[in-house]
Amino acid sequence: MKNRLRVLRAERNWSQADLAQRLEVSRQSVNAIETGKFDPSLPLAFKLARLFETNIEDLFSDES
Amino acid sequence: MICSTSNLAQRRYVVRMWVAAALCILFSVVTALEFKRGHPTGVLTYLMAILPALPIIGALVGTGIYLLEEADEFQRNLLIQSLLGGMGAILSVATVWGNLEDFAHAPHLDLIWVYPMFWVFVGLSYGVVTLRYR
Repeated sequence: MKNRLRVLRAERNWSQADLAQRLEVSRQSVNAIETGKFDPSLPLAFKLARLFETNIEDLFSDES
Repeated sequence: MICSTSNLAQRRYVVRMWVAAALCILFSVVTALEFKRGHPTGVLTYLMAILPALPIIGALVGTGIYLLEEADEFQRNLLIQSLLGGMGAILSVATVWGNLEDFAHAPHLDLIWVYPMFWVFVGLSYGVVTLRYR
C-alpha cells in the first residue's frame, strides 16, 4: 500500500526515530510502513492520521 | 531476536527467558544428581524426569505472554512469522527424520533436541523474515 508518510514526516523535519517515538513503536516499524512493506492496522493508521492531522485516505492509497 | 531499542515488553521477555534458562539448568542438575545418587521410584521418578521440562514449558508460555504484551504490531508480526517458520521447519525435520529412522535405519534422534532445534529454526527464520523489510 502506498503512503505519504515520508513526505509528511519531511515537512515536519521528523526523523523516523522521532515519528516512532510519537507513535510508541520501533523505528523499524516506521521504516516498514513508510516503504510500503508493512500495512499498519486500522488503530495505528488512525493514530498516524491524527498525528499528521489528516485523513487515513489522504495518508494511504490502495494503488499497488 | 529482540531489537536493540527494546521496549518494556521486550525487556520483560528477555528477563523471563533468562529465568527459564537458569531454572532449566538448575532442574537438570538436580534431576541428574537425583537419578545418579537416589534412584527415585514410583511417582517421584516421573516427577523428577519432568522437572527440567517445566522451565521450557514456562519459556513457551513466556513467549505467548510477550506476544500479548507487545504493543508494537510490526515487532509482534516479525516474531509470529518467525515462530511459524520455526514450527514448520522443526515439524518438517522431525517428520523426515522419523521416516528415515523407520525405513532407512537412520540413527535415533532423542526428542529432547526438538526444543533447542526449534529455537535455532526460529532464529534462522527471523533472519529471513527481517530481510524482507530491509
